[in-house]
Amino acid sequence: MSRDPFTLEIIGDMLRASAVEMFITYGRSAQSPIIYEVLDMGCGLISAEGELIAEAEGVPGFVGCLGFAVREVLGKFGADALQPGDIYASNDPWGGGGTHLSDVVLVMPLFHEGCLLAFAANKAHWTEVGGMAPGSWTTDSTEIYQEGLQLPALRLYRAGQPQQDLLDIIEANVRLPEMTLGDMYAGIAALHAGARGVAAVCARYGADALLDSIALLLKRGESVARERLSALPDGSWHAEAWLDDDGIGDEPQYVCVRVTIDGERFVADYSGCAPQASGPINTTHVGLMVVVREMFKCVLDPHFPNNDGFFRPIEIICPPGTLFTAQRPAPTSTYWETGSYAAELIWRAMYPVAPDRLSVGHHLSICGTIVSGEDESGTPWVLVEPQAGGWGATHRRDGQSGLVPSGDGETYIMPVEICETRYPLLVDQFAFNTEPGGGGRWRGGFGLIRDYQVTCSHADLTASFGRFRFPPWGAAGGADGSNNAIEIIPAGQGKAVMRTGRCARQRLQRGDVARLITAVGGGYGDPLQREPPRVAEDVREGFLSPEIARQAYGVVLDNAGVDEVATASLRADMSRERDHGA
Amino acid sequence: MRIATDIGGTFTDLVWQDEKSGAVGNTKVPTTPHDFGAAVVSAIRQSRQDARGTGFLVHGTTLVINALTERKGVRTGLITTRGFRDVLEIGRANRPDIYNMTYVKPTPFVPRRLRLEVTGRLNFRGEVLLPLCHEDVARAAGTLLAEGVEAVAVCFLHSYVNPQHELECGQILADLAPDLPVTLSHQVTREWREFERSNTAVLNSYVMPIVARYLNSLERDLNDMGIPSPSLHVMQSNGGSASFGAGRQLPVNLVESGPVAGVIGAARIGGIIGEPNVISLDVGGTTAKCSLVLDGAPRITSDYKIEHDRRSAGYPILVPTVDIVEIGAGGGSIAHLDESGALRVGPQSAGADPGPACQGVGDQPTLTDANLVAGRINPDYFLGGRIPLSVARAQQALQPLAAHFGLGIAETALGIIRIADSNMINALKLVSVRRGHDPRDFVLLPFGGGGALHGATLMRELQTRKVVIPQQPGVFSAWGMLMSDLRRDDIRTRITRVTEDAAPDLDETFADMSRRVHEALQREDVAAADIRSERHADMRYLGQEHTVKVPLAEGCIDAAAVDGLLERFHQAHEQTYTFRLDSPVELVNYHVTAFGLVPAPEIGRVCGDGLTLADAGKGRREVYFDDPVPLQADIFERDRLPVGEALAGPAVIEEPTATILVFPQQRAWRDRNGLIHIQGEDQS
Repeated sequence: MSRDPFTLEIIGDMLRASAVEMFITYGRSAQSPIIYEVLDMGCGLISAEGELIAEAEGVPGFVGCLGFAVREVLGKFGADALQPGDIYASNDPWGGGGTHLSDVVLVMPLFHEGCLLAFAANKAHWTEVGGMAPGSWTTDSTEIYQEGLQLPALRLYRAGQPQQDLLDIIEANVRLPEMTLGDMYAGIAALHAGARGVAAVCARYGADALLDSIALLLKRGESVARERLSALPDGSWHAEAWLDDDGIGDEPQYVCVRVTIDGERFVADYSGCAPQASGPINTTHVGLMVVVREMFKCVLDPHFPNNDGFFRPIEIICPPGTLFTAQRPAPTSTYWETGSYAAELIWRAMYPVAPDRLSVGHHLSICGTIVSGEDESGTPWVLVEPQAGGWGATHRRDGQSGLVPSGDGETYIMPVEICETRYPLLVDQFAFNTEPGGGGRWRGGFGLIRDYQVTCSHADLTASFGRFRFPPWGAAGGADGSNNAIEIIPAGQGKAVMRTGRCARQRLQRGDVARLITAVGGGYGDPLQREPPRVAEDVREGFLSPEIARQAYGVVLDNAGVDEVATASLRADMSRERDHGA
Repeated sequence: MRIATDIGGTFTDLVWQDEKSGAVGNTKVPTTPHDFGAAVVSAIRQSRQDARGTGFLVHGTTLVINALTERKGVRTGLITTRGFRDVLEIGRANRPDIYNMTYVKPTPFVPRRLRLEVTGRLNFRGEVLLPLCHEDVARAAGTLLAEGVEAVAVCFLHSYVNPQHELECGQILADLAPDLPVTLSHQVTREWREFERSNTAVLNSYVMPIVARYLNSLERDLNDMGIPSPSLHVMQSNGGSASFGAGRQLPVNLVESGPVAGVIGAARIGGIIGEPNVISLDVGGTTAKCSLVLDGAPRITSDYKIEHDRRSAGYPILVPTVDIVEIGAGGGSIAHLDESGALRVGPQSAGADPGPACQGVGDQPTLTDANLVAGRINPDYFLGGRIPLSVARAQQALQPLAAHFGLGIAETALGIIRIADSNMINALKLVSVRRGHDPRDFVLLPFGGGGALHGATLMRELQTRKVVIPQQPGVFSAWGMLMSDLRRDDIRTRITRVTEDAAPDLDETFADMSRRVHEALQREDVAAADIRSERHADMRYLGQEHTVKVPLAEGCIDAAAVDGLLERFHQAHEQTYTFRLDSPVELVNYHVTAFGLVPAPEIGRVCGDGLTLADAGKGRREVYFDDPVPLQADIFERDRLPVGEALAGPAVIEEPTATILVFPQQRAWRDRNGLIHIQGEDQS
C-alpha cells in the first residue's frame, strides 16, 4: 500500500458518510409508507467485485443482500457490458434479492474515466409489485409466480436512459403504479447520492487511492473478524427448534443447526432441517447466507463498521431443497418466518458462549401485516407494516418491551395519528401485552396489542405471525414467553371468534376489529430469585397482578409493599415443592 | 444598553453594547453550576457597565438541557386517551444499534403508573367520536396529586387538529389544582405523531417548575440591578428570543438555547458582508457544531431529538429548532487507535479537566496537542499567554501513536489533524451537500476556540467561496445572541391538497395563524410596526411522507399565488432529491413565523489607518501545513493588521483567544468590520 494510512482512513469515512446520505435520500423521497415511515430499507456501496464496503444501518438483512445483487448483475452481464448511467433492478430471491419479491434491489455501477470502480446499491420494500394479493406478499401463495413481478437483474436504465418498455411493464402489473414508480425514482435518487460520494473521493484523492482504501477496508474487516473469532472458545454447539407449520398446513416443522468454531473458521451446518414448504415461508440460499452473517456479526462485534471482508471466515452447510434453501419456483412471500429461525438457531447455539451479546428468546417474527381495501371513492389502499414485540431478558437485565424484531433494525412503527389519517381504520388501543409469561430472575419484555377497527364497508387482513405455537425461549430457569397471535373480534361482539398465527385476505366488515398481539419475551434465571422490590415495582406499574406475583415469583405483597417474612416462607415452600416434583 | 449572556460548560460569556456610543465589550467569568444566575450577575458587575435601564437583555442557558440529561426535573404525570398510555414507553420501537441484541430502549420520563387514561376520542378530522369524560379527568387528577406529582402533561390523539378535549381537561385541572403546572400538548406543538407530541409535552412539564424557579430568581436579581422585567428575554431553540414569561410557559423551547446563538450571529455577519449563504462551524473543546444559513435565514427543523445517536433512539422534541449537526470533534478530542488499529479522533474528550496534555495535567494526545506539535498554535500566546503550553508534553503524548505507525512526530500530528478535519468535513457536508446545496455557493464562518485553526483547510476541501472569521471568535455565540430578534413559530399539521381551488382555504389558515403569532408578540410589548412575519408550507407529493419546506410570500393567497407555490415546491424537491413528479401535491404543515424586530446594534468598526502588514508582523516560525516538511510562516497579530491589505500564506494570524491559519496559495485580509477573510489565490 503506497499511501499514508490516514488518507485511506479518511476515504473510508467518506464512503460511510455517502451510504448514510443514500439512506436519508431514499427515506425522505419514497412513496411507500413502509419505506419512509417504517424505513424498511438498506443502502450501501459495493466494490467492483461485489463485496459490500460501506453501509447505512437500516434493516440488517437488506444490507447483507446488496453484494449478492451486484454479483448477480456482474454474473449476468459481465463487467465489460456495464456502462455509466446504467441502473439494474433485482428482486429475485435466488439471485440478488434473497428475500421476497416486494424487496427490490437497485444497483448502479460507478465509473471513473471509463474504469469500473464500485457500485451504489439499495434495497427497499416497495408496497406493490403485483401478484395475487394487494400488497403483493401473502400467506397462501404456493408458487413464486403468484407473488408479483419478478425482476431478475433487469436493466432499468441504459447509459442514463430509462428503458420505457420495462417501466411500462411494471406500471401495468402493479396495483398502485404511482407509488411503485415513485419508490423507484426515490431509490434512483439515493443511488445518485452514493455516486456523488464516490465521485468526490475520486476528485479529491484519485481512483487509485479509492481502490486501495476499499482493499484495506475489506482486509481489515477480515482480520478483525478472525481476531474476534479467535477470542471465542473452539467447540461445537447444537440448537434445534420447531416452526409453527409449513405455511399452508398445521404440521410443525423441525429445524436445527450445528455451529463449529475451529481456529479461524465459523461453520454453520443446517443439515437435517425440514424440506422446503408448500407455503410461502421459504428462504433461499442467498437469504440464509445473509442471516448467518447477521448473527455472526451480532455475536462477534456489533459495532465494527460493516463490510464483506468481515464475513470471510463463515462457511455454511445446507443441502438444497430445505426450508432454508428452497428451490425455484417455491413461494417466499413470508420468508422471514424461516429466515428469522435460521438466525435464531445460531443465536440459541451461541447463547452459552456470548451471553453478553445476546438476550434470550424474543417475538422473532416480523409479524408482517397487510390491511387493504377500497375507500368510498373506489381508490385502493394498502397498509403494510411489521409489528414490534417483547424481547427476552439478558443475564443482567429485564427484557425490552415493544421493540422491532432482530430482522428489523432502524425500523419504526407507524404512529396512530398517521395510520388513522391515511387509512379507513380506527385504532382502539395500542398498549403493552402484559399476559403471563417470561418470568425469571430477569423477566421478559412485554409485547404489544394493536387493535384495528374497520371504519369503511369492508377490508381484508393478511398477516403472518410466526411463534403462534412455540413461544420465545427462556434460559437458566427463566420461563418461556407468550405467543404472537391475530384475533378477529366481530362488530358488536366483545370477544374473539378467531385466534390464529396466519391469515390471508381475511374479510373484515365495518366495525370488526383485528387485534394484533405480539409475544412477551423469555425470562432469564429462577423467578424465585427475582428481587422482591422488582416484583413489587412491576405490580405497582400494572405489569403484574398480585396473584401472579405470588404464583410465579413467590412474592407476597401487602399495602406497604413486600411482606418479607411471608415472601421468604412462601419461596422456601415453593422451592421445596419444586425439588420434590423434580 | 443591550446585554447578552451565554452560559457554557466552563465559562459564562457576556457581551454588551452601548447603543448610544456604539461601544462593545465582553466579560468571561467561570460558570456557577449550582446557581447559574450568580455567574450572570457577576459577569454584569465585572463588565463595569451601568446596567440600569438596559433595554434588552437576552439570556442563553443550558438549564433545560442539563435538567433533562441529568434527570433533575420534577415528578411528572401524563393524562392521555384511553387505550394509549403505553405510547410514551413504546415510542417508535426502533433499534438504531441494529446488530446489538442487548439494546436498551430510552426510559420514559413518566413511569406507567403516572400515565393515566381518560375516555374521550376524536377522529383524524378532529370530530368528536366520544365526548371527554370529565369524571375520568377529575379522578386522574386526584390520583396524580395523591402520587405527589409536581407537573402534568396532557396529550390526546388528534389534538393537533382539534384541541377541544385538551382545553376541557386543562380547565378541569386548573379548577382542581390552580397551582399545578400543566402542559397541553397542542400548546407546545400542533404537529401530528402522538408519541413525539406526548414526549414533547411531558418534557415541557418535567422542567417547568425548575425553569420557573430559576427565571424568577434571576429576574429578581436583575430587577435589583435596575434592569426592568420587560427587557428580559431568553434565547429559544428556534434562534429567536422570548420573554421570561414565555420561557416559563414553554421551557422545552429553550433546549438548544445556547448553541443556536452562534448560527444567528453567522446569519448576521452574512448580512453585513452581503453573503446570504453561510455555513457556520462552532469548534469548542469537545464538539464541533455545524449549521446552514440559507438566504439569510437559519434552517429550522422540528425533527429534533435529545440523547439521540447511532446507538440510541433518544427522545424527540417536536418544536422548531435550528438545524445543527454536532459531532465529537473539538480541541480536547482524544486521538486513539480503534480496535482494528485505525487512527480515530474523538468523540472522547479530555475536556477542560484534565485538558490537553500540553496544558500540563492530562497525558492523552488531543487535537490541540497535534496543532501545537505542528507549530500551528503558539505555545506562549494561548489565551494571550495566560496559560503556557508545553510542546514537549504534547510530543510525548503523541509518541505512542507515532511509534505505532512508524512515522515521525510531525507526520503523526498532521494525521490527527487530518482525521479531525475529515470528521468535520463529513458533518459540514451533512448540513450542506446532503440537503441539496452546493458548498461553493457558501462562505464558511468558523468560530469557537478552535474554528479559526481549521477553517482554511475545510474551505479548501469543501470548496466554499471563502472563510470569514468574526472578531472575538471565542465569545461569538454571545455576540450572536445580542443580534437576535424575538421570534414566535406556529406550525400546524393540516393536510391540504394544493390546487387553485384550495386558495381560500390556504389563505384563511395562514391568516388565522399570522394573527395569532402577531398577537402573541404584541402581548410581549412588541409594537405592531416592529413585527415582521414569514410563511412557509411543508409540502410533498401525494403518497410521500417527508416534506420540503417552501416559502410563501405575504399577502392574500389567490390562484396565482398557489401556482407560484407549486412551482417553487417542484423546484425545491428537485434540488433536494434530484427528481420531480407529475403527482398531485399536498401541503402538510402550515408554518408561520413572526419576528419582533429589536433594533440591531451596529457592528464595531475597526480603524486600521496608517497600519501596514509590517506593523502586525511578529516574525516567522516553522509551521507544518499539508506536508511533513515545515514551512517558514509569517506570524501576524490580528489587531494590528491594516484594513484591506492582503497577506499571503503560509501565515498565522494570532489573537488572544484564537489562531487563524492561512495556507500556501491562500491570502487573507482584514476588512473594515474587523473580519478576517481568507480565499484561495485562484478564488475571487
